[in-house]
Amino acid sequence: MRWHIATAVLGFGILGSSVLAAPPKYNKNDDPPPALTNDAWKGVSKSALQPGEIDRMVAADQEKAKVKPAPLTTDEQFIRRVMLDLTGRLPLPADVTEFQADKDSNKRAKLIDKLLESDDYVKHWTRYWHDVFIAKVTDQRERFLSLHFDAWLEEQFRKNRPWDEMAKEMITSNGQLPFRPGQMTEPDVKNGSAWFLLAYQGNDAIYDWTAQSSRIFLGIQIQCAQCHDHPFDGWRREQFHQLASYFGKLTERPVIERVNDKPMAVAQALTSRNFSEHKMPDKDDPTKGTVMSPKFLDGHSTPMRSNDTERRKALAEMIAGKDNYWFAAAFVNRIWGEMMGQAFRNPIDDMGPGKDVIMPDVLARVSASFAGNKFDIKGLLRSICNSETYQRQLRPGESSDQHLQFASPYPSRLHAETLWQSLVTVLGAMGPPVPAGRGPFAGRFSLENQFKGEFEFDPSLPPDEIEGSIPQALMLMNNPQIQRRIQAQGTNLLARILSAYPKDEDALRMVYLRTLARKPTDREQEKALAYIHKAGKRSDAYEDLLWALLNSTEFQTKR
Amino acid sequence: MNVHSLMQVQTSAFGVVSRRTFLRSVAAGAAISTLGWKEAITLHAAELRKKGMSCILLFMNGGPSQFETFDPKPGTTNGGPTKAISTALSGVQLAEGWENTAKEMKDIALIRSVTNKEGAHPRAVYQLHTGYLPSGAVKYPSFGAVVGKELGLQDFELPYFVNIGNRFNNTAGSGFLGMKYAPFVIGDPNKMPNNAELTVSKDRYERRLGLMKDLEEDFAAAGAKKAVEDHHNVYQNAANLVTSPSLKAFDLSQEKDAVRDQYGRSSFGQGCLLARRLVEHGVTFIEAESTGWDTHQDNFERTKTLSTPTDRGFAALVSDLKQRGLLEKTLVIWMGEFGRTPRVNGQTGRDHYPRVFSVALAGGGIKGGQVIGASSADGSDIKSRPVTVSDLFCSFCHALKINPRKENIGPLERPIKIVDGGDVVKELFA
Repeated sequence: MRWHIATAVLGFGILGSSVLAAPPKYNKNDDPPPALTNDAWKGVSKSALQPGEIDRMVAADQEKAKVKPAPLTTDEQFIRRVMLDLTGRLPLPADVTEFQADKDSNKRAKLIDKLLESDDYVKHWTRYWHDVFIAKVTDQRERFLSLHFDAWLEEQFRKNRPWDEMAKEMITSNGQLPFRPGQMTEPDVKNGSAWFLLAYQGNDAIYDWTAQSSRIFLGIQIQCAQCHDHPFDGWRREQFHQLASYFGKLTERPVIERVNDKPMAVAQALTSRNFSEHKMPDKDDPTKGTVMSPKFLDGHSTPMRSNDTERRKALAEMIAGKDNYWFAAAFVNRIWGEMMGQAFRNPIDDMGPGKDVIMPDVLARVSASFAGNKFDIKGLLRSICNSETYQRQLRPGESSDQHLQFASPYPSRLHAETLWQSLVTVLGAMGPPVPAGRGPFAGRFSLENQFKGEFEFDPSLPPDEIEGSIPQALMLMNNPQIQRRIQAQGTNLLARILSAYPKDEDALRMVYLRTLARKPTDREQEKALAYIHKAGKRSDAYEDLLWALLNSTEFQTKR
Repeated sequence: MNVHSLMQVQTSAFGVVSRRTFLRSVAAGAAISTLGWKEAITLHAAELRKKGMSCILLFMNGGPSQFETFDPKPGTTNGGPTKAISTALSGVQLAEGWENTAKEMKDIALIRSVTNKEGAHPRAVYQLHTGYLPSGAVKYPSFGAVVGKELGLQDFELPYFVNIGNRFNNTAGSGFLGMKYAPFVIGDPNKMPNNAELTVSKDRYERRLGLMKDLEEDFAAAGAKKAVEDHHNVYQNAANLVTSPSLKAFDLSQEKDAVRDQYGRSSFGQGCLLARRLVEHGVTFIEAESTGWDTHQDNFERTKTLSTPTDRGFAALVSDLKQRGLLEKTLVIWMGEFGRTPRVNGQTGRDHYPRVFSVALAGGGIKGGQVIGASSADGSDIKSRPVTVSDLFCSFCHALKINPRKENIGPLERPIKIVDGGDVVKELFA
């Protein structure tokens, strides 16, 4: 609300000056400008997390808040959740029954380890981070260029590259990424990280580089301060432009070659231009501006005489430094939110400074151990997944707008890729594979791309802001290709189930296991059997049932 | 409440509906059902929108040449071989190829002095759809989404915003306004919307929906109540759309051949006709795209090919809307993302030129039969009355009775004006 007050004061500045003793100004300007500090880590150990440590801290906080945690998940519930979370895959009936039958008391930890080493883990997290970075990129060509970034991400997750090294490489990246319309483009793994910067073009790219670096790596939203002092967080306009000046000697441009005797852009390249400086535009005359010197959000500055390489290296070291609370906390908050459905701070990429955080002690300790453990991504996921906090059931009767204090997970939607993979797991492959690297429009009309395009969302949004749409519903309800696969014919799933399981209880259980990776509840079995018995034709009834389960909320939700 | 009765009475909005809206919509729907669907829909098209207003955007993707459309410069070097034709307005000429539009000029206002700085396609297309330049921080909503939000009624079963002809679905979208106002994309106007046709009988379809909802009770009770409710609302709205009698708004085969011919059988022409049908059925904002205007080579031949169907569709739309008494309440905008260079390049093409270009407007209270602003004799500069993109958007808002300074809440609770800066071009409404 302060925003409105500030605007009103400015709007009535002339009237106001006769009434007020002092010239009107933002309230916030009386305070010193904000600066990032590591106060949250004061006295917090950076040692590795002990087994049960997360649970003990969370339990203590829950006790203070008088919140009782939900019971632990059953094996059936756990395997679906952990597979969807770590690998983006729906378990098959055999996975579920084998896991349930396993007598090993350590089987959950073993499953977690196995999933972390799988190929699907690499693909799933590549896709997750692709979605994070591409969410605000609007240009088709730039979106297409992300194929290089994806190849790079894949290699990083395969190697379990530490998060600080990944971030530093993205910020300091150089080189060019090829784009040849109409021709196959091979992904450039080596330079792929440059897409973090090459995703933005034009004179304003510097603002996107600044805003994205701050938002994704630090959980700090400073971009409002590009044009004016930040109305809520207090960031000054100068602070944004001082941060931007770390990118002030960098530019991106198309690489032009003659193709068939016509000049054509064949790649996008990053280049240093060490003769220029970033200027903060004059508010009244944008053609004029003030040269800004590089200064980080914690107040540290970098000499003006530094060149592009030195500046971006300095920025990378400050952003991804092992002593920077914000860098570790932004990652932990994001991943925790992804796994639990709710983060310590929502939206996950707007953490502060000075914002309310749920269980700040837990966030501080988990992020400190993440930094102390060389930003080991798998290590962090392992700690979270093995905690009882992660392994709790949904709890009935929660209202949607409250924070659950991690007493139970918050049901959230599956990512587009995960939902597509789930559908394919149930129904089998649909349509020809989508050609990679053939240009922005290749395979555009394939069911797979249409499906993913329709279900795509920005993973940085809070789960309760991610909405379903009518075209999504229409696709799952009516798409002819999907509908053909639902039919109990030929080699389709239903035809196989119905011939293998003549008894309806067995067939029904199998349909549930395939789609929702669980057995039906007694009530569901009763309802479904009644429906089947009422129907004229057995196969029709099962088609309706499979349709209903694939279109259900549960099929599209992590629980 | 059983599912069947909901299907009958709920006239719902496009997207997620809150529980409160849902209950209210049941009441509103009940009232309409006593009138009968046909009457309720066709006789009260205007009442299906706030203030009765709607908007059709004809977007010339690629950047149309002003010299070969609405600002010809015959007999000059920059004008090239393009001839000019006279129009219903004495003293005002259009480029050849725009004969049908020339006849409708008494209802059309031309602005020949639009000026902007952005010369890259994606950024300019984005700007001319949202009023804002792209930003890494905020996904601005397309104007169609804004208009849908401002003018669409809650309880409406077709989408608020329909986009025709954008086969790649690469629109600016509804940005931070959310899915409820997202464009409903129709690739080919001659076909019904994707996945809108039932693959089983309507009875069986409704049984399936009923079974789905019935089986979800346990999951809702287990802790996913809100998710299940939201999901079922979206499904109910989708079901309402595909089983609605209004769906026939998308069916061009319901039009007489003579009418279809009047618009021209091109994809764009039929898109214009579909836009008119959708306006009649209460849709708030329709965008129909014409693509291929990026004439770096063979500008003169290619614009001829592009102009013929576009001229026909645009002129038919304006005259048809007028004949049906809909023009006064429907703003029609013809524009692209920028203009093209006065100089003809080595490949007889014209390159990107945002400094001077033309926009044509009709309906929605716009005073037709006038030309606002002028380009210089050689077409390289504004001679009089510069109009910025923000001025244009303010004027669109004015025509649609929307306050351009109204703030929507963007990411992080930040208020964002519908249009930032600019002024209404008052001459348009004089």
